[in-house]
Amino acid sequence: MSDKATTITLVTCTSCGKPIPPAAEATKFLCPNCGEIQIKRCGKCRKFGRPYKCPKCGFVGP
Amino acid sequence: MSDDEKVEEVKIEEKQDQEKQDEVAASTTTEELLMPQDMLLSAGIHIGTRMKTGDMEQFIYRVRPDGLFVLDVEKTDKRIRAAAKFLARFESAKIAAAATRLYAVEPAKKFCEVTGATPILGRFIPGLLSNPLYPHRIETDVLIVSDPRADAQAVREASSVGIPVVALCSTDNEFAGVDLVIPTNNKGRRALAVIYWLLARQVLRERGELPKDQDPPLTINDFEAKVTREEEEET
Repeated sequence: MSDKATTITLVTCTSCGKPIPPAAEATKFLCPNCGEIQIKRCGKCRKFGRPYKCPKCGFVGP
Repeated sequence: MSDDEKVEEVKIEEKQDQEKQDEVAASTTTEELLMPQDMLLSAGIHIGTRMKTGDMEQFIYRVRPDGLFVLDVEKTDKRIRAAAKFLARFESAKIAAAATRLYAVEPAKKFCEVTGATPILGRFIPGLLSNPLYPHRIETDVLIVSDPRADAQAVREASSVGIPVVALCSTDNEFAGVDLVIPTNNKGRRALAVIYWLLARQVLRERGELPKDQDPPLTINDFEAKVTREEEEET
């Protein structure tokens, strides 16, 4: 058995910038406008309808 | 040629370029809309409600003297384009369109017919998206709802499953659980037909299945709900 510690890199929410834990009610989709950047939204930001902004094209949703 | 003459020439060229850019900008603002503005306004897609939410404030153009909030047609147009681009990236069978509202059933049905999406019409059976034991469960990648309030169950289940939600929102809707909003009148019969028709046409164009200057085989009238008085009374 190896002693190497495995690390998990959590994706961060585009709206709030917080890491999204696995199995949360989150979603990810490509930017509706440019389709190049993946937008990730945590369950809380979706619930409260917090805005997200595409870092590439500047599209603001929802 | 002296330096002064060169500078003057450059200035004239710059002026001409600026004039050209202004002309292009003016022409694009008039030709920008997917449909002539008169048609959009006559269909009433800009008519909101007497209620306004903070979320929808960004899409509101003005308030009419009778208290109705009016939506910005240009923003609606931009969002239809964005939504069509977004939907065109998904496999057609993996798109689901939910419509609980009576006037939204026919437009959603026709939209699915034209684009090959999966319709969820009438009452949304709880568990349709989220219950793995339900035999008629639908596995979709994206959900379109006609009204986030009327289709609250669909939005809730899409949130729990983790699929993006595209919603037609009027001035009285909130953004809870919605990932992409199309600001429009989601109560009018004609408005819903126009919006779904425009969305279907734009999706087909984005996919490359329809040339940019052509319309789908079905007309807006085909998309419009034909509800008899008896049916209205029943519901």
